[in-house]
Amino acid sequence: MTPLFQPLKRVAVLAQNTLREAVRNRLLYNLLFFAILMIASSVALAELHLGDRDRIYRDVGLSAIAFFGALIAIFVGINLVNREIAQKTIYTLLSKPLYRWEFLAGKYAGLVGLLAFQVVVMTLCFLGVLWLQNAEITAGLFQAIGLIYAELALVTALALFFSSFTGSYLAGMFTLAFWIAGHLLADLRSFGAHSEVEGLRALTEALYWTLPNLDRLDLKSEAAAGLTLDTGRVIAAGAYAACYSLGLLLAAAFVFRRRDFQ
Amino acid sequence: MSAIRTRGLAKSFRSGLRARSVHALRGIDLDVQEGEIFGFLGPNGAGKTTAIKILTGLIRASAGEAWIGELPVASPESRRRLGFLPEGTFFHEYLTGREFCDMHARLLGIPRAERADRVQQLLIRVGLEKSAAVQIRHYSKGMRQRVGLAQALVGDPALVILDEPMSGLDPVGRREVRDLILGLREQGRTVFFSSHVLADAEMICDQVAVIVAGRVVEAGYLADLLGGQVGGVELVAEGIGEELSAELSRAARRSVAQGARHLFEFSGEDTAEKALDRVREAGGRIASLVPTRRSLEDLVIERSAPETDR
Ligand SMILES: Nc1ncnc2c1ncn2[C@@H]1O[C@H](COP(=O)(O)OP(=O)(O)OP(=O)(O)O)[C@@H](O)[C@H]1O
Ligand SMILES: [Mg+2]
Repeated sequence: MTPLFQPLKRVAVLAQNTLREAVRNRLLYNLLFFAILMIASSVALAELHLGDRDRIYRDVGLSAIAFFGALIAIFVGINLVNREIAQKTIYTLLSKPLYRWEFLAGKYAGLVGLLAFQVVVMTLCFLGVLWLQNAEITAGLFQAIGLIYAELALVTALALFFSSFTGSYLAGMFTLAFWIAGHLLADLRSFGAHSEVEGLRALTEALYWTLPNLDRLDLKSEAAAGLTLDTGRVIAAGAYAACYSLGLLLAAAFVFRRRDFQ
Repeated sequence: MSAIRTRGLAKSFRSGLRARSVHALRGIDLDVQEGEIFGFLGPNGAGKTTAIKILTGLIRASAGEAWIGELPVASPESRRRLGFLPEGTFFHEYLTGREFCDMHARLLGIPRAERADRVQQLLIRVGLEKSAAVQIRHYSKGMRQRVGLAQALVGDPALVILDEPMSGLDPVGRREVRDLILGLREQGRTVFFSSHVLADAEMICDQVAVIVAGRVVEAGYLADLLGGQVGGVELVAEGIGEELSAELSRAARRSVAQGARHLFEFSGEDTAEKALDRVREAGGRIASLVPTRRSLEDLVIERSAPETDR
């Protein structure tokens, strides 16, 4: 039996390679550039607005971090996994003595590390804007950003799951659809609950409990209003995202194990 | 012990929307002995890459079994001492040659202290030491093939599987790869390589298997395959009439006419003798008469003629 640390070492090698590829990829810098541009533009937006300016800074900044983070998670994530398969670079890797799940785990670890870097960069820009504008920096902001990161990790797991059995176009569409649906689940459920059709109500209820509920991870409006939430609730939401991601990764590993590479 | 053994290995692909099955492999048995160079030969689409992908764990056989050494190919441990060069040199473009080799060395668990040295040795061996710090995206086809070979050898493999290692190389490059393969055998490694260029194989292989349309049609030691059978006799005659030319063409297995020169290839010596007499009788001139050795190419062309499906 191989000791566990050997697979982990190989996962680390693959993760490092994923990071290296991302760092040498232009798409990433373009997305990051727009994210920073958008965070900075919150200043101009607040100028046009009469109400609570701090709230606008916080709202636009958090939304930019979440939105561009998700774009990076979906497009860079799918790009990096599928390209390895479509361009056949995976052949030399899998001909080494490693289990296929190690490949997925390495990709995932690399991508999650990449997203951590992204979120930190965007957060620093965001805090810089708040500081320059003398806006209050509350603990709630960090709670919101922490859960945005949890959401991004979950979206990456979705992207990896779809990439484990389909090409980049479909995987991108599916992940995008799940991401959007994940934010609309509460609305969808109440729509179903008010519906006359019995089947529709059962369907929306089923979707509500099976699709990833990304609303749970969304504290943007609370944080923008300057509120700080109970830590227990934040941790519970984070644990939900972690479990859901783990489930997706296990499913991806199961599918990937049986896949033919051609 | 065999380095590679397969029994009844088969693979079919369901292709496209019509869900019609393509039988890429229809049950092949191979026995590759340790320490020899094994040529896996066949025309395009014969199923060579498909078989190699099964051996290297990239696809799963539909039926049959395959082992590397003692271990079934489904086990990752079977790849512990396996080096593999895939067809078509699709490598991580964003890595430099050195980073690429180093990454594979790390996946093999080679300790840090040894790694840099070993990678450097290999880069020198394949002639890439000057381009080691250049990204693979800037490499020429030949350089890619070399970096792929370096990657395949980085784990000190007992068995090296090379899918079309000479394709796309110029004559000098082909010769270098040939010498490299011979060098690997000298070090006691087993080499299994596929090719459709038979001259390459004829020069260096101990054993070959010829595969056509997913079946092994010829297999064994090259010396047995080519030596045992009678070759042909090639006769070039000049100054013979139309009539005689037509008569000899019927007796020959191949004939070519160019101006006054006629070339006939006879499969047996007696037919050639008879033809020789007929030419002399008719007052023709014999330009040359040579026994032809049977080449691997003849063998493959003979065996693939009836059922090619390309
Ligand atoms: N993924 C696939 N789906 C459908 N058919 C396939 C697939 N892969 C291979 N085939 C078919 O299997 C047969 C064998 O292909 P393979 O690539 O193994 O041939 P090959 O001997 O390596 O040829 P070449 O010398 O051109 O590399 C071909 O007819 C090919 O069309
Ligand atoms: Mg091939």
